[in-house]
Amino acid sequence: MEAREIKEMDEKIRQLRKIAEQLRKISGGIQAVERNLDRILANIRMLELNISDVKELV
Amino acid sequence: MSLRPDIYWNPILETLPEEKIQALQLKKFRRMVKWAYDNSPFYRRFYQQEGLEPGDIKNFEDIHKVPKIEKGMMREVQQREPFPYGDMLTVPLKQVTAFRQTSGTTGTPVYQADMWQDWEWWSECWCYILYAQGYRDMDRVFIPFGYNIFVAFWAGHYAAEKLGCEVVPGGILDTQARILKMQELRCTAFMATPTYVLGMADTARNKLGIDPAKDLSIRKITCAGEPGASVPTTKRRMEEAWGAKVYDHIGATEIGAWSYECTEQPGGLHVNDAFFLVEIEDLETGEPVTEPGKEGTMIITALDRTAKPCIRFDSKDVIRWSDHQCDCGRTFRLIEGGVVGRADDITKVKGVLLAPTAIEEVVRSLPELGDEYEVIVSKRGDVDDILLRVEILRGREGKQESILSRLRNQLRVKTNLGYRIEIHPYASLPRYEVKAKRFKDLREKGG
Repeated sequence: MEAREIKEMDEKIRQLRKIAEQLRKISGGIQAVERNLDRILANIRMLELNISDVKELV
Repeated sequence: MSLRPDIYWNPILETLPEEKIQALQLKKFRRMVKWAYDNSPFYRRFYQQEGLEPGDIKNFEDIHKVPKIEKGMMREVQQREPFPYGDMLTVPLKQVTAFRQTSGTTGTPVYQADMWQDWEWWSECWCYILYAQGYRDMDRVFIPFGYNIFVAFWAGHYAAEKLGCEVVPGGILDTQARILKMQELRCTAFMATPTYVLGMADTARNKLGIDPAKDLSIRKITCAGEPGASVPTTKRRMEEAWGAKVYDHIGATEIGAWSYECTEQPGGLHVNDAFFLVEIEDLETGEPVTEPGKEGTMIITALDRTAKPCIRFDSKDVIRWSDHQCDCGRTFRLIEGGVVGRADDITKVKGVLLAPTAIEEVVRSLPELGDEYEVIVSKRGDVDDILLRVEILRGREGKQESILSRLRNQLRVKTNLGYRIEIHPYASLPRYEVKAKRFKDLREKGG
């Protein structure tokens, strides 16, 4: 896999995090939104560990 | 060697060149120390006492300056708030979503807090393990384990689901019911301790008249909790009994699942170098060990575990680096033969260092002997005495003299020690369902 493709994935992961965090901000405290976003953010973190952390090393 | 992308959970990390892995480890280590310093009262206090600030870690060598933590500290910190974990925590208690604890084999149990992100991380580490061992979305995986406060196999369960397997939880079923369910559902894989893998095969043959190798569909078994799957003779017994490949993995409640055997079975286990930093220190001098083949104590850092960080933890596990380059193409380093022993298990008997796994390897190399055995070290007067109890298989009773002679010779070669040996009838020694306690040192108790 080329560095360009990894950087592209990283950019999409950043967008995912941004959207999830924005959604949490406007959730109005609805637990069904917040708790599901907590899980989504945890999965986004796994994407960061697998892809984003290594982007400048490839 | 050609890379086969389909064998890796993450081909980018698993084939990263060594110098880049080190750069990744340094980046993550610095991030973790800063996180712990900023958010955990315990770590801040500990590092301040030792005169360390996160900014002091500038290069890979600086990592050795960071003070180590030990299990005793984890126990002590539990006396502090917040209950029951103490102030090693980096997050408010309301973010903790899972409680686990160590088995307490070496003292008071350590309580482990994980928040949801950490639990995802546990599963992620296990995905690396299971994918490397050939688990795929067509596998039906049986977990013959009493799910409880211990972490074992919870993470394996969720990782198997994550990579698309169908998981059958064998929770409170008894051994016979588990075997019958595995047969009924044509399960293709399961996870258990080596003791239980052998015990299940014994029950299948002797209580149910089932030959696991012929009558079941198991093709791979993932072991945990004991070193057996890395002891060649024990591994062979398990593979023959089940007609399946047996793979080892190593993990711990307070660390994570840090090491795994791949389908190449290279005689060792890969360290997940992208998620953990493993160092080896000389058993006596504490100096870093980098050369292959030399045993030392493992110091380990979980590079991404956040709620209760594990930074330079002195695990007391004894391991050694391998110089073997695995044919799977992973650049993750190999440790030879898994965990060789525990620093507190490897004991001096008659002035000689003895690792219990060496005895296991000899006992299980003799086909006339059963899987169970017991080693009791005691004092006879002022002299150390080692009693080895083994079981002879039915129909082999006439070979006792030959067995005794071969056992004595092989044990002498393997361990440099002499033993008193008792041969017992088959099925007369204790059986274990999870972790076995076959090595007993009675000397400190006045035995």
